[in-house]
Amino acid sequence: MQATQPAFFRQGPKPLTRLLIFSVISLAMIVGDAHFKMLDRVREKVSVVLYPLQWLATEPFEIARTTTQFFSRQAELLAENRRLNDAQLVAQAQAMKMKALEAENLRLRQLDERQASFGSPSQLVEILYNGRDPFTARLIVDRGERAGIAPGQAVIDTVGVVGQIIRIQPLTSEVRMITDRDQMVPVMVERNQLRTVIYGMGRNQPLEVRNMAPNVDIKEGDRLVTSGIDGIYPAGLAVARVLRIDRSASSAFARIVCAPLADVDQHRFLLVLNTARVLPPYPVTPTPTPDKKKRGR
Amino acid sequence: MPVSSQLLRPVGGAFITFTFIVALVINLLPWQAEVANFTPDFVALFIVYWTLNQPRRVGVGVAFMLGVLMDVGDGNVLGQHAFAYAVIAYLTLSRQRLLNVFPFWQQALVTLGMLWLSQALMVIIRLLLGASFVGWGYFAGSVLAAIIWTPLSNLLLMYQRKPKSEAL
Repeated sequence: MQATQPAFFRQGPKPLTRLLIFSVISLAMIVGDAHFKMLDRVREKVSVVLYPLQWLATEPFEIARTTTQFFSRQAELLAENRRLNDAQLVAQAQAMKMKALEAENLRLRQLDERQASFGSPSQLVEILYNGRDPFTARLIVDRGERAGIAPGQAVIDTVGVVGQIIRIQPLTSEVRMITDRDQMVPVMVERNQLRTVIYGMGRNQPLEVRNMAPNVDIKEGDRLVTSGIDGIYPAGLAVARVLRIDRSASSAFARIVCAPLADVDQHRFLLVLNTARVLPPYPVTPTPTPDKKKRGR
Repeated sequence: MPVSSQLLRPVGGAFITFTFIVALVINLLPWQAEVANFTPDFVALFIVYWTLNQPRRVGVGVAFMLGVLMDVGDGNVLGQHAFAYAVIAYLTLSRQRLLNVFPFWQQALVTLGMLWLSQALMVIIRLLLGASFVGWGYFAGSVLAAIIWTPLSNLLLMYQRKPKSEAL
C-alpha cells in the first residue's frame, strides 16, 4: 500500500524500520550503559543540553523558597533568638552549678586528705549559716553534741585554722572564728619559732599581734602557725600571714597586722579536730588566765 | 482529533518543540517522593499526542531523542526511556489513521494503554538489569494522564482553532 503512495505521503523509511533501528540503538545503549559504562561521555553531553530545562524546572521553586524564607526569616530569627537565649541561660545556670559542685568536690577532697593526715579523729561539718550578730564572727555548723562535738575543739579548713567550737547544741554547734574580736590563738612565727598570740579584731577585720616590741623579729609575709602550747590547737596549723608592720616610735608596741590564711568566709565544709589530749595536771593552783575562751567581746 | 467539520490551522514546529520543552520541564520538576508516582509521564503523553495528530513531524526518531533526554535527566540507564518511547511512538504511528478519528475518551483509553506499555517496558528493562520491582503505584500516573487527555487535547487544539488574524 505504501509503495503506491503519491510523493506527498512519502515519509522516508517505514515506521517499523525506524522502530527497529531505534530500538536496536536503544537496547545497545542500555546494555552498553548498564554493563560497560561506555556512555558516560554521551550522558555528559546530553546533560549539558538538558541543563537549561533542569534549571527551568527547579529555579521557580528555589525562587519561591528564597522569597518565603526572606519573609519568614525575621520572625524565625526572633523566635530562634529567644529560644537560644533561653537555652543559653539554662546552660549557664547548669555550668555555674557544675562549677560550684566541682569546687565543692575539690574542697571536700582536700578536707578528706587533711583529715587522713591527722592522727586524731576529726569530723567533717557543714556550715549552716553565719551567726546573725554583726559584731561577732560566728558560724553555725551542722554537727552538735550528738555527733561528739565538744566545746573548745579546733575548727580548720583545707588551708588553716578557722576557729574554735564555743557552744554546742544537740544537733548544731557554734564556731567562733579567729577573726572574732579578741579571739586569741597562740601562734609562732614559722620562720624563727617566735611564740606569740594573735588576736581577732572583729568580723571582716584583719588579725593583730599585740604586745610585741617595735624591734621584734617579724617581717611582712611571715607565716604564723599554731604553736600547740595551749593544748587546743595542734601545733603547725597555718593561721595567718603578716600583712604589714607599723613600728612607729610613738607607740610602745609594734602594730602587726595579719590576714587569716584560712578562707574563713568562703566555703561550706569545715573540719572539727578532736584533740582531747590528756594533759598533765596543772602544777600550781590554777588561775583562769590561760583559758582560751574570753566570754566578753 | 476526532472527526469534525472545523478546519484547523497548521501546527508550527516551534509549537511542538515548545510543548515538548514544557513536558520535559514538568517531568524534571522536583516532585515530592509521595506524589512522584502519581505524576503522569508528560513526555510520553505528548509523544502519543503528537504522533497521533502530527505523524509526519513527530515519530519514532523524535521519541527516541526525547527518551535519551529523559534518561539523562532522570539518571536512569541510558536507553530505557528511549526504547520505551520509540516503541509507543511506533505503535501509535502504525494505527494512527484509525486512532485519529476516535472520540477523545477512546483515545484516552488508547493512551492509557500506551503509557502503561512504556512503563511496563521500562520496568522489564530494569528488572532484567537486576533492579527490584517498584510496586504497582508506579503505574498510577498513567491513569491520571488518561484522565487529563481530553482537556489536554482541547487545550492544544485551541491553538489550532484560533482564527489566523488573531494569531498574527
